[in-house]
Amino acid sequence: MAADAPIFLEDVSYTFGKGALQKQILFDISTQIQAGEICILTGPSGSGKTTLLTLIGALRSAQKGCVQVLDQELNNASEKALIKVRRQIGYIFQTHNLLDSLTIHQNVQMALQLGGIKKKEASSRISAVLERVGLAEHESKYPGQLSGGQKQRAGIARALVNRPRIVLADEPTASLDKQSGRDVVELIQELAREDGAAVILVTHDNRILDVADRILHLEDGRMKSLSEAVSEGTSRMLNLLEKHDPNSANYLATFSFALARIAYADGEVTDSEMSEMRRILHEVAKLESAEVEFIMELSMMQKRAKSGIDNISLNPAFDEDRGKHFLDSLYAIARADGNVSGEEVVEIEAIAAEFGLVREDRTEL
Amino acid sequence: MFGSIPLGWLQLKAQKLRLAAAVMGISFAVILIFVQLEFREALSVSAVRYHTAMDYDLAMLSPKTDFMVSSKQFPRARLYQTLGFEEVVSATSVYMRLVSWRNPVNPSNARNILAIGFDPTEPGFEGLLTPAQIEAIKIPDQVIFDQLGRNEYGPVRELLEAGEPVSAEINDRRFAIAGMYRVGTSFGLDGGVITSDLNFLRLLPTRNKSAIDFGLIKLKPGANSAQVQARIRAVIPGDVRLLTRQEFMDLEVQYWNKTTPIGYIFAFGAVMGLIVGLIIVYQILFADVQDHLKEYATLKAMGYTHGYLRNVVLQEAIILGILGFLPGMAIANLVFSKGAAATRLPLEMSVESALGVFVLTLAMCAGSGLMALRKLRSVDPAEVF
Repeated sequence: MAADAPIFLEDVSYTFGKGALQKQILFDISTQIQAGEICILTGPSGSGKTTLLTLIGALRSAQKGCVQVLDQELNNASEKALIKVRRQIGYIFQTHNLLDSLTIHQNVQMALQLGGIKKKEASSRISAVLERVGLAEHESKYPGQLSGGQKQRAGIARALVNRPRIVLADEPTASLDKQSGRDVVELIQELAREDGAAVILVTHDNRILDVADRILHLEDGRMKSLSEAVSEGTSRMLNLLEKHDPNSANYLATFSFALARIAYADGEVTDSEMSEMRRILHEVAKLESAEVEFIMELSMMQKRAKSGIDNISLNPAFDEDRGKHFLDSLYAIARADGNVSGEEVVEIEAIAAEFGLVREDRTEL
Repeated sequence: MFGSIPLGWLQLKAQKLRLAAAVMGISFAVILIFVQLEFREALSVSAVRYHTAMDYDLAMLSPKTDFMVSSKQFPRARLYQTLGFEEVVSATSVYMRLVSWRNPVNPSNARNILAIGFDPTEPGFEGLLTPAQIEAIKIPDQVIFDQLGRNEYGPVRELLEAGEPVSAEINDRRFAIAGMYRVGTSFGLDGGVITSDLNFLRLLPTRNKSAIDFGLIKLKPGANSAQVQARIRAVIPGDVRLLTRQEFMDLEVQYWNKTTPIGYIFAFGAVMGLIVGLIIVYQILFADVQDHLKEYATLKAMGYTHGYLRNVVLQEAIILGILGFLPGMAIANLVFSKGAAATRLPLEMSVESALGVFVLTLAMCAGSGLMALRKLRSVDPAEVF
């Protein structure tokens, strides 16, 4: 049932402690990650991200559910089987975790010698992987002589030298500045793609989310949909902006509203138009680039709704369930003030028609 | 794994100061163990110097005699009784007593010396004295002096070698030193003179000639000492003790090791050294494991087994053992050569004792390593994330 996914989780629960001190960390997590897929695991601190990562990494055993990694069921597996799985996983740690008394070359060799590879081949492979991460001239240095970014790259070299089928990275950018963090993540992405490894990257660094093929969001030990996570995060941030700098909030909101009306009036926006808009917002309106992106995204949201109208047959936003929920909720909102007026019904029907949603069972109203 | 990384050694090497402290500590323990064991060994070896040098198959002594220097007398007739057994070839009477020796060049300096008298017409002392010396002691007032005795007896050897006649006052009577033999000191013995039974009685006029201290019985070649011993014992009364060569030596060694506190103290000292070493190595290794817990957890997460980490710690322990043993052995050798010169005790490191202490050191280090390993058990690979 695991198919060929290197990582397969089904209804995984994990509880810390015993008796009265018991605390459940993970609730019924199910997912699978394919070879070559880069999956970013986000969520606030204490949400269980790291615990989930250690379960997949064969470092803990879940109490309930099924954790299959590389076709090995990890629950109730023998220590020997767990060690075998660990050897096929490349770990990248938050703080590099290199061995201080070994050179960079030897650190990488520590990973390689687990595979029992011949000395000659090992040496050339180590040199190649260090070359790849840009540490070729540092291979005989000790970790203490390298910068944070270099150490993290050495850690990546160590994790990837065995060409693992799974790469697990826990906050690999946490101790790095923006540029080194970016470099490190791109390096992981590149190397993992080359080897076709399944990658799980735990982070709460929003700046690197875009390298993901898929984003899993954990909150209080439960998997949440990305839309839920994004909505929650965004609305919270908008609330904050409203509270602390209402003028800017208004300004940005107005800008995006206006932009949506003007630029998307014809319902067609090309890439060149978008970059021109960005330039103008930046140079004429004197907005910071992050603010520009924000306005663009807000107006794009509205444009998306509009393009849905234009292209009903191609709109995947409304499947049968969602269409039904959408209309139900509109009627419910109309009814909330006690009675449903004729104007309200007309408006809702107009919207439904616009989005191509037909309601058969209106009799109940 | 061929060409694998010697992690234990590299980790030790990375902390040079700690390594130096560990090596010094272990060296100290090794020196302590060596010195104490060697003193204990010297105690046993030196205690039976005369027992080994004299030629006999069975020894007769008084049941009250605990050790050689404080021998009690028994009737000489008992010794002669053994001549009635056909296996007995000869029975030599030996007299022994601590007497007062005056330094020949500094007569105000008196010191006790062991005087040994025997019948020079009987065998038993061929290993100690030359035939010429045996003839010499038949002359009245002549003794043979132990040239390996303590220096406090005076420059007898130097004078004799220079060809000068030397005489010394022993128990207020002047004796000529007619030659030298080589035995050496022990914990109960600083030096000795050997002479004839008659000269011995001149030395101690109050001694009864028919009360002897030891009887040396020589058997026919090929005779079984134990069987003859049993047959003689069955006949003679219990007022004398008849021992084989080995039993006679064991009695003496037993006395020094068990009855006096000396043997115990040295054994205790060696154990203390071992414990000091254990604690030092344990401390060092424990601190080392503690420092590397995160790294070890990382290795476990990468797929290294607990056995691998155990080997790393044991590797460190063994390396520490070897590094600490070598300087320890060198210094102990130095101590022995100085000590042997000062005390004339047989302090010399044998290959066996060096190997023994080496094995002990390795065992000590490995033991400490195993104790430090308990900390390693707690390494949870899940903690590294």
